[in-house]
Parts: sequence; structure tokens; C-alpha cells
Amino acid sequence: MSREWNIVVCVKQVPDADDVSIDPDTGTLNRSDAEAVLNKPDYNAVETALRLKEAVGGTVTAVTMGPPFAKAVLEAAVGLGADDGILLTDRAFGGSDTWPTSLALAASAEELDGDVVICGEESTDSSTGQVPPGIAAHNDWSQLTYVEELEPRPENDELVATRDIEGGHEEVAASLPVVVAVGFGMNEPRVAGLHRKIFSETEFEPEEYSASDLGIEESVGLAASPTSVGGMDTADPVEREREMVDSVDELVDKLQSEGAI
Amino acid sequence: MPGEVDTDEYEDVWVFIEQHESEAAKVSWELLQKGRELADEKGERLVALVMGEDVSHLAEEAIERGADEVLVVEDPIFEPYLPGPYGEQFSELVEERKPDIVLIGGSHTGRDFAGRVAVPTYAGLTADCTELEIEADTHLLLAKRPTFGGDAMATIKCVEHRPQMATVRPGVFDAAEPDPDREGTTTEVEAAVGEENVHSRVLERVVGDITDITDAEVIVAGGFGTEGEFGPIEELADLLGGEVAATREAVEEGWIEAARQVGQTGKTVKPDLYVAAGISGAIQHLEGMNDSQTIVAINDDPNAPIFDDADYGIVGDLFEVLPALTDAIRDEQEGTA
Ligand SMILES: Cc1cc2nc3c(=O)[nH]c(=O)nc-3n(C[C@H](O)[C@H](O)[C@H](O)COP(=O)(O)OP(=O)(O)OC[C@H]3O[C@@H](n4cnc5c(N)ncnc54)[C@H](O)[C@@H]3O)c2cc1C
Ligand SMILES: Cc1cc2nc3c(=O)[nH]c(=O)nc-3n(C[C@H](O)[C@H](O)[C@H](O)COP(=O)(O)OP(=O)(O)OC[C@H]3O[C@@H](n4cnc5c(N)ncnc54)[C@H](O)[C@@H]3O)c2cc1C
Repeated sequence: MSREWNIVVCVKQVPDADDVSIDPDTGTLNRSDAEAVLNKPDYNAVETALRLKEAVGGTVTAVTMGPPFAKAVLEAAVGLGADDGILLTDRAFGGSDTWPTSLALAASAEELDGDVVICGEESTDSSTGQVPPGIAAHNDWSQLTYVEELEPRPENDELVATRDIEGGHEEVAASLPVVVAVGFGMNEPRVAGLHRKIFSETEFEPEEYSASDLGIEESVGLAASPTSVGGMDTADPVEREREMVDSVDELVDKLQSEGAI
Repeated sequence: MPGEVDTDEYEDVWVFIEQHESEAAKVSWELLQKGRELADEKGERLVALVMGEDVSHLAEEAIERGADEVLVVEDPIFEPYLPGPYGEQFSELVEERKPDIVLIGGSHTGRDFAGRVAVPTYAGLTADCTELEIEADTHLLLAKRPTFGGDAMATIKCVEHRPQMATVRPGVFDAAEPDPDREGTTTEVEAAVGEENVHSRVLERVVGDITDITDAEVIVAGGFGTEGEFGPIEELADLLGGEVAATREAVEEGWIEAARQVGQTGKTVKPDLYVAAGISGAIQHLEGMNDSQTIVAINDDPNAPIFDDADYGIVGDLFEVLPALTDAIRDEQEGTA
């Protein structure tokens, strides 16, 4: 049964957290000037995908859903060693919550005849972690989340994972096709090689899929999303003393007068 | 894709009781308490859902902690947790019984489950809520979650689809206290899952005692700056009768168990005193502890961001400051004893 695997790695473009600010006048989030970067946990996903390919053979295809400039995260993935990249871009995808987002990624994984789909633990912007199990559910595939170690068993068409669970861990064998969400920090991501990086930035062009290419134009976007953002408030920041003390005796005095000790 | 739903057909608040080896995860009781409030506000029932192999005793406990009805689905296929069978059974139950709201713990198991079941039920699922309210005029669930490092709160609604689902991280709400006099009904449900729903099998499971830091009144936490040496942290925690906690960085290094991780992807804690030593103050860490009463930061970098979110800060080497602090507090305690 042993054969090479089609490995799909999902990468998301997110605003650089350090650049997001709150407009002090309007109280709204200012994301527009934030530089767009590859979601940090997705570096662990790309690394996992590349190592699986090294172990089993096959191809690694990076997929992102986003605006045309999200191409940059595909370049990053190809620079790291992914063989190809697919950009899911269409106005129809706009406003998608996790339900249609995972549908679009599930449909492209199917289109690519994926055996294994690798995702990050969660994004650093909306951080729901719902997309990986959502992809698995849409395709009725197996899922492995919070994965700390992976061992491919191509002879059984299986992937064995060590999952982090409350109070310990478990080892689970999942049949292909399978969607994996790897724990943030589960491996040391490699650094892009110079040649590959130059190739990704100058020659590589991703293939683009629209919603209708995937046959899901009726099921994506704002209208197909069960959730909607009903409002955004600035949180009341907790008032802190922010007092620097010079000695532990002074600290003990302060804590005692507050009744903290 | 399922079509339009008649939202009026959906009622009741459900809580998914997460259990491992027949023991309930504490977050389930926290949600039962919040679920009780929501159900009372809507004038509807609170229903607990328990799945497992040998779990009927949990039904009684769920009633004591606030449930009006408990749905119990007992079958060996549900032990241990696997997303395939759990997801299939849950979808069946939702289709048949039409809950309006479903609350699920934001543990790894809960998030694995919630993400799986929201798709076939076409539910609106909001992650990591820290406030849950019922909107006065519409009776919709207002699911609020911090975003962008806690600088903002987003309110997420699910207007046209049902159920309205939400996950909540452990420690955000207080657990319901059991009341042995409370009454409720237990309904046994036949398992509706076959082998075709099992895509994976658990080969091994290693679970120790689950430490709970969420109720601690004092927490002394260490980060990457400890370089793995938690001795001084433990000594101060012991003296104050508190718990040791850590950043994700320290957990990743294997210095300390994951159950002690504080932050966005760990526990939410609100002790009277939180001492952060060798912790830089990343937003993901702050999210789990910025409701603490008093925060003390010890860091050798005067520009560490943690100082902006602390009440009292000491610039210095934690290996000098912490033992000195422990000694000073011990002297004080002995002096006043
Ligand atoms: C403030 C705010 C709050 C929100 N809250 C919710 C909510 O509670 N529920 C909800 O349903 N929607 C919510 N959304 C919508 C949500 O942002 C989108 O659905 C988003 O595209 C995917 O969710 P995520 O970033 O949480 O993905 P996660 O599930 O956290 O991402 C996990 C992994 O999935 C993969 N992945 C995710 N998105 C993509 C992509 N576009 N392309 C390629 N790979 C991807 C990556 O590998 C990533 O590491 C919210 C949006 C905002 C602005
Ligand atoms: C999706 C996602 C989820 C995350 N979830 C969490 C989470 O739940 N919880 C969490 O904590 N993090 C989380 N993180 C990680 C977070 O972003 C930070 O990387 C992490 O909190 C940093 O840990 P730290 O402060 O221990 O380490 P560092 O940032 O390395 O800070 C170490 C600090 O120790 C100080 N120091 C060094 N030596 C000494 C000494 N001898 N004495 C005194 N001070 C010293 C240094 O000046 C520095 O400020 C998450 C990240 C992502 C992307």
C-alpha cells in the first residue's frame, strides 16, 4: 500500500501583532498599517510538512485563503521548501468566519487529492483554533489536534501522533486522509535557504482558485457565516500602580499595606 | 449545506460535560454555573450532556450543580474521547433535540470537539469567550472575547443559525457548588454511532493527577528567565501557601507541567497576588493573569513590558530577588507570630 503522500500545509497571513494599535480617538482597531506576516504557529506547520515529506516522499503544497497580497505567505512557505503554493482568493470569500474558511480549505485539500493536511495550532489574530477540526469535519476526515510529535506509518496509511491533553498526553493513530494541527513550538522551524528564497520571491507564481473553481461559491463569505462580529469595544484596561521599588523590604511593606501577604 | 433554520424551534442551554476516565473536567462545572444564569434569563432549561462508558454518576453531580436534565449516552465507543464518534453522536442529538445554546470547555479536548461538531450542525461557534450574556430584546447569546492582546473585546453573535455555540477556557468562570437537594431528570440516550465514524484509535494514554491552579489565592510564576531552575519560585509559593505557574515558553522547555501554564492557551487565573519572575510580559501571557488583584514583576531588564502591567516591579536577578523576598516575608511572619 505504501506510496508517496500529497501533503497540504495551510498558512495564514496575519497582521504583525506589534503593529496593531487602537485608535485613541475612535477606539477602533488600527490594523491597516500593520505589516502582514506569516502566522507564527504556521512555521511549525510548514516544518512538520517538510519533515513528513522527507520521511515518506511526496509533495508539499502550501494553501492560503486571503486577498491577493496573501501571496507573500505562500512565497515564505515555498522559500522554506514547499513545492508549490495555491492562493484561494475571491471577493466571495470576504467576511468568512471559521465555517466557510474551513470549507474552502477542505475543498482545496480535496482538489489537491491531499493525504495529510497540516495546520498551525491557531492564528495570532483571531486565534479560534477552529479551522483545522473544521476542515476535517467538512471532508469527514480524521483529525489530530494539539500534536507534539508525529510518526508516519505509510505502510498502514496511518499517521501516529502524540497529542497534548489535560494532565498528560496520548498517542493516537489516525487513518488517512487526516488533518493535523501541530502545537505551537513543537519543532524548530528551519531557515529558508538563499536560493530557494530568491526563487520564491522572483520566479514562483501561485496558482489561484476562486470560489467557483472549487464549486463552493454559494457556501462562503459573510452570508454563509453563522457568526458575525456584533461590536468591538476597547477593553477597560486594569489600572496598575506601575511602581518600581528598590528593595525587597520596600516591596514587603507595600504588599502588607495592601493586604496581599 | 443545510438550509435556513427556524430559530424559534430551538430552545434550552446545553453544557457539554467533558470527562476523562469517568471524572469530569472542572471547566464543565464552571460552564454549568454560567449556563444556569443564561437559562434562567431566557426562562429555559439547563441540560447537561454526558458521554462515556461509565458515567451515570456524573449525571447526578450535574443535577446537583444546576442541570434540569442530563442526557447520558453510555457506550464503550465513547471511551476515551475521539472526535469521530463524539461528533457524530452530538450531531444526532442536536438534530433531534434542537438546543439554542451549547457551551463547551476551551480545553484541548473541548476545542477539538467544538471545532468538529460546529460544521455538521452549521452552528455559530465563538472561541475563548470571557463573558456570556443574553441580549435583552432578541434573547440572542452575546459571546464576548478579548482580541488583539486584550486591548479590545469583540462581541460575536449568531443570528440566523442554531445552535449558538461557545467555548470558554478553564478558570474564566467560577464552578457551581453542588447542592444535594437539587432535583432533575436523567435521560438515557441510545448511542447512534457505528464503526464507520471511527477514524482513529488511541494507542496509549498517560494522564497523571491534574493540577488545578485556577483557584489559587497566591501564584508565583516563572518564565524563560528561570533557565529551568524553579527552586526559588517554589520556595516563595510554599511560604505563601500558593501555587507555582509558568509561561508557555517554560512549559515548552519541559521545565514544568502544562497544567500550570497561564495565558491565552493555558489557564486563566485571578489570584490576590501574582508574582511574575523572569517573564517578559507577552500579550498571550497577560491574557491569563491580568485580572489578578496585585501583580509583582521581577525582571533583570528594566524595559521588560511586564513592568507596564504590574503594580510593583523590581529590576534585578530573580535568583537574588526571590530568595531575599522569601526571607523578608518569613522574617515578617515570624516577627508578627
Ligand atoms: C475579532 C475577531 C474575532 C473572531 N472570532 C471568531 C469566532 O469566535 N468564531 C468564528 O467562527 N470566527 C471568528 N472570526 C472570524 C475568523 O477570523 C476567520 O474565520 C478566520 O479566517 C479563521 O479563523 P482563525 O484565524 O481563528 O483560524 P484558526 O483556526 O485559529 O487557525 C488555525 C490554523 O488554520 C489554518 N488557517 C486558518 N485560516 C486560514 C486561511 N485563511 N488560510 C490558510 N490557512 C488558514 C492555519 O494553519 C492556522 O494556523 C473572528 C474574527 C475577528 C476579526
Ligand atoms: C498562538 C500563541 C499562543 C500562546 N499562548 C501563550 C500562553 O498561553 N501563555 C504564555 O505564557 N505564552 C503564550 N505564548 C507565547 C508568548 O508569546 C511568549 O513567547 C511567552 O509568554 C514568553 O515567555 P517568557 O516570558 O517566559 O520568555 P521570554 O519572553 O524569553 O522572557 C524571559 C524574561 O526573563 C527575563 N530574565 C532573564 N533572566 C533573568 C534573571 N536571571 N532574572 C530576572 N529576569 C530574567 C528577561 O529579561 C525576559 O524579560 C503564545 C504564543 C502564541 C503564538
